[in-house]
Amino acid sequence: MKVIGWVERLTPFDRKLLVVVAVLVALSFLLPLRQNAGARVVVSSDDRIVFVASLDKDQRVELDGPLGITILQIENGAARIISSPCSQKICIGMGEARYSGDLLACVPNQLVITIEGNSDGEDAEYDFISR
Amino acid sequence: MTSSVVDPLELEQVRRRVFLALFVALAVALHTVEVLLPNPLPWFRIGLANILALAALFSYGIQALWIVSISRILIGSLLLGSLFSPGFLLSLGGGFAANLLMSSGYKLWQTKIGPVGVSVLGALGHVTGQLLIAWLIVIRHPSIWMLLPFFLLFALISGIVNGLAADYLLGSLYKHPAFAGLKAKYATRDSVQD
Repeated sequence: MKVIGWVERLTPFDRKLLVVVAVLVALSFLLPLRQNAGARVVVSSDDRIVFVASLDKDQRVELDGPLGITILQIENGAARIISSPCSQKICIGMGEARYSGDLLACVPNQLVITIEGNSDGEDAEYDFISR
Repeated sequence: MTSSVVDPLELEQVRRRVFLALFVALAVALHTVEVLLPNPLPWFRIGLANILALAALFSYGIQALWIVSISRILIGSLLLGSLFSPGFLLSLGGGFAANLLMSSGYKLWQTKIGPVGVSVLGALGHVTGQLLIAWLIVIRHPSIWMLLPFFLLFALISGIVNGLAADYLLGSLYKHPAFAGLKAKYATRDSVQD
């Protein structure tokens, strides 16, 4: 069977419908379905919160971990790790965290950086268990 | 069957009942097999059982579609032990949305639309209905809608596959004398299948 043989089994209307549906599906990828940008950066180490800052304010922070100092940069509403004493630098490779719920972690240096809150001001509901 | 002495209308009704029962049985079997298949992502299902719902729709009309798909969901979930669980509600919500879209598509463009067109409408309805139910009762978080484009893309592909399967099935069913009365109806569509 030819690769396009199946098209011949469709009615002419089906073909038009398929084209329309395919275009709609492609367009759905452009829908603004992204989560809300977060409001705060929360850094915890060993289950304790060691640092909290707003995402609005650009700054560079030195975070202390067992291995040494990890540098976190907050810029343009996103947080990223730009320097870390760990060996594999996975945390640097994680890129930037911008949306509520995003997470950066440096496991060797025991740092977990999460984005919380909602930039729209009103705090987002947590989840359906804690509500 | 003592078909020679039975009045043809009654024979047609008996045939309808028997074939619908067979369609439901096959749909339940496919539903069960599909759950057993390894699945890369929890909610991505091909929806093979819908092939039988499509066959019922094109053979016996909209009422038959609803009978086959709702019975399939109820019996299938009962067999798998998921009746009234969240997964069952997802199935049911998806099934309702799919049936609504398939019935209206079939009703609106009855002479023009084929199994593939109806199947794609159904698949899109199914994922949308499922996500709606998932959002309403399982995960009350708007970010779940981020999945929608991926689900729709997958539904488009699986819808085409199921529609083609249904088309082949209908094509071979209508070669059988038991479906002689229905063949004429199917052949009045724009494009005549082999």
